[in-house]
Amino acid sequence: MHTSIPNKKYSGGDEVLRFLLNRLGQSAILLLIVTIITFFLINLAPGGPASTMRMDASPEERQAMVEKLGLDQPIHIRYIDWITNALKGDLGVSFTSSEPVVQRIAERLPYTIELTVFTIILSITIGILFGVISAIKRGKAQDHVINFFSVLGLSVPAFWLGLMLILLFSINLGWLPSSGVGARGADFNFWGWISHLIMPVLILTTTVLPNIVRFTRSSMLEVISQNYIRTARAKGAKESIVLYVHALRNALIPVVTIIGVLIPRLLSGAVITEAIFGWTGIGTLILEAARGRDYPLVMGVTVVITVVVVLCNLIVDLIYSRIDPRVKNV
Amino acid sequence: MKTKKWRFMSVILVFFLLLAGCSYGGDSSNSSGEQSEGEGTGSDPKKGGKVSIPIVADPTFNPWHPNAYAESNVVNRVLFSGLTQPGKDLAPSPDLATKWETSDDELEWTFYLRDDVLWHDGEKFTAEDVAYTFNEIVLNAELGANNSSYFQKVKEVQVVNDYEVKFIMESPVAALPAYLSFNTEIVPKHIFEGEDPWELTSFNKVNPVGTGAYKLKSYTSGQSVVLERNDDFYGDVGLLDEIEYKVLPDVNTHVAQILSGELSIFALDDLASIERIEQAEGVSVFGRETPRFFWIIVNHEEEKYQDKRVKQAILHAIDRQNIIDTVLKGYGTIADAGIAPALEEYYTDDVARYDYDPEKAKELLAEAGWTDTDGDGIVDKDGEPFSIDFKIGIQGDLEAVSQMVQQYLVKIGLDVKLNAMEWNAMIQDVVVNRNYEMSLNWWRYPADPDLSAYMHSANVKGNNIPHYQNPELDKLLDQGAQTSDVEERKKIYIEAQKLMAEELPYIFLWYPQEAQVRIDKLKGVPDLAFGDALHYIHEWYIEE
Repeated sequence: MHTSIPNKKYSGGDEVLRFLLNRLGQSAILLLIVTIITFFLINLAPGGPASTMRMDASPEERQAMVEKLGLDQPIHIRYIDWITNALKGDLGVSFTSSEPVVQRIAERLPYTIELTVFTIILSITIGILFGVISAIKRGKAQDHVINFFSVLGLSVPAFWLGLMLILLFSINLGWLPSSGVGARGADFNFWGWISHLIMPVLILTTTVLPNIVRFTRSSMLEVISQNYIRTARAKGAKESIVLYVHALRNALIPVVTIIGVLIPRLLSGAVITEAIFGWTGIGTLILEAARGRDYPLVMGVTVVITVVVVLCNLIVDLIYSRIDPRVKNV
Repeated sequence: MKTKKWRFMSVILVFFLLLAGCSYGGDSSNSSGEQSEGEGTGSDPKKGGKVSIPIVADPTFNPWHPNAYAESNVVNRVLFSGLTQPGKDLAPSPDLATKWETSDDELEWTFYLRDDVLWHDGEKFTAEDVAYTFNEIVLNAELGANNSSYFQKVKEVQVVNDYEVKFIMESPVAALPAYLSFNTEIVPKHIFEGEDPWELTSFNKVNPVGTGAYKLKSYTSGQSVVLERNDDFYGDVGLLDEIEYKVLPDVNTHVAQILSGELSIFALDDLASIERIEQAEGVSVFGRETPRFFWIIVNHEEEKYQDKRVKQAILHAIDRQNIIDTVLKGYGTIADAGIAPALEEYYTDDVARYDYDPEKAKELLAEAGWTDTDGDGIVDKDGEPFSIDFKIGIQGDLEAVSQMVQQYLVKIGLDVKLNAMEWNAMIQDVVVNRNYEMSLNWWRYPADPDLSAYMHSANVKGNNIPHYQNPELDKLLDQGAQTSDVEERKKIYIEAQKLMAEELPYIFLWYPQEAQVRIDKLKGVPDLAFGDALHYIHEWYIEE
């Protein structure tokens, strides 16, 4: 989502402002298109709220449901209603629980943020470390081992690994709780909290970490073959300074991009991981919404996720121009 | 050369990892799976402890709410009480009502209520609550309350005095006390009056007030519902301190959690992992009869299915015992009519039976005019091949069963195309639009033999999905529905079962048994299906 023109000089604040306004305008249009597509897709999908009723519901019961939810109105009228309310900040009321959609999302979002923060911290620290090792020891045993586990992490499906971890740590060893988020509020205790976090964070890390490792590695390899690194070595700089000051700093620029892509992916809810571990975040909410044909909830979650993705991209672009003065946003 | 060596080592490593994953759990197989109830061995029931029960989604604490599905039923059954409840023999037994009687013309039912019942907020329960629940919620057609179709024949509910109500009927319904025991709990008038019962979120989602043995302690959306003992309960006060319902959408998690002791009891739908549970220590599986039957339906609006020989041929073609043994792991018995053995009083197996006999099936098809004239392996009639669009919803073991059925039907020369659809899409197509030719599913019904809803011609727009019409069966079903004398009813329903087995309004497959999974420490659970046993949760206890 970023554009770069390397040959212009960086020139002050109002261009940043213009860039921001420009991007926000684009984002608004994007958001509108996403909501239209989502709205029509879910409404046109076979089955509707009336079909999620128990199978033996009578035709009268189904009809009452349809009327109560206003689904007897034509679809474009319903969309206009929805978007008008949404612009006023009202995302409607969940079909299945009759609670405001905003409230339902606000209840769940903190849990997903929790999972994301831990996963990202763990992935970045280990990922960059392993990426660098892998690059420096290119072709050696360390590189192969790291490479092997990266591929393994990318290819093992999360649901399988999740169930295996539950089998090992919860059933056979009995060390960790197999699901839930642990007691909150008055009954909160530190170990209870951490013990519930371990397995889901581990699973998410195995899917995120390899990306960071591989990006760091290839970026690092590219940088250390550059002329200025050779120059740095030639002028007699210590190898560690060459690597960690000269090389790594530049190698991390592309890594920022990939992290910017991974964060919204995690924030939009790791559906499978959250479902397996009964983690009550956005992922399980998406599942409930889709399963229950809860149109307002589906729309609400879609809006929130789109906003998160747009914002993350924007932030990445801004950071980008900070760490690499050659990159300028227009 | 170096890379080659590494590649080899990697392959070995992967192999070991996979092996480690697969061989898991093979060595804990020393306890017997099914064991007899351990009631006799233990000490006396004692107070304390809690049980954990899985539910797949957030519940709605209002038994009549159109969004109150199975996950809500198991909670509401404990929070609230009905006028009657399923007895340990499944016949309706007293709950909020101590006794009931019907007038000679059976158009008036009088229910005598307990006078010692308090709502969880301390208010007194009276006949007004019953009248409100029915007149304002259940009988209000605009609301489309859950299960309200069972009460279509109820005109109104009259308050006689504080502890006596009259149900005024349009026509006799012998099953009324049974219907009143099935997800038809009473809600408090003093909270609902003047409110839209579906929009009252402060009750339905936050703070339900019932009359049951346990009351709400805490509820966290997406996580858990915790109930605590109601010390003012009108019956025997509960032994367990707490009932915890954990919201766990994934069924694999249920299995994992009961094996790790984090769950106490549930009914297992997908039997794929049953062996692992049967072998585990400290957990047992019990087969329980339930009023359910699995069926194949054909659309009787299509001419070819109006010939009963075609349906009989389909039944002869399917090796039902094999499906029960393999997919259901033995948890089921072959069905020949709709009334399940769970209803001991009414069930009979003295009806026409259809053994697995593909040759017989082919003969019946030939008698009906369907033979393979062009040698393409598919039977045809008047130049039309017999092809079937077989639509099912993906849930539990329906897909596995349907694939086997498809194979069996192909063997007798039917060209069956299986179309496994997402559940809601199937409901839309098959149940709502009736756009189907063949489908496979099951019914669960209240503990009463009245199956009118599913096969009476008056209900072809309702749950008579196969669109079956037979005046003879209608007559028997009407008689049965209107006769409250049990001996008389037995005769009628035995007759009806013989007719069902012969005419096949549904192609009956089997009566599944519920596979009830339970930790051994949990005692006092009556020998009933899980849903019915919940009515007796105040008798459950934990033995350390």
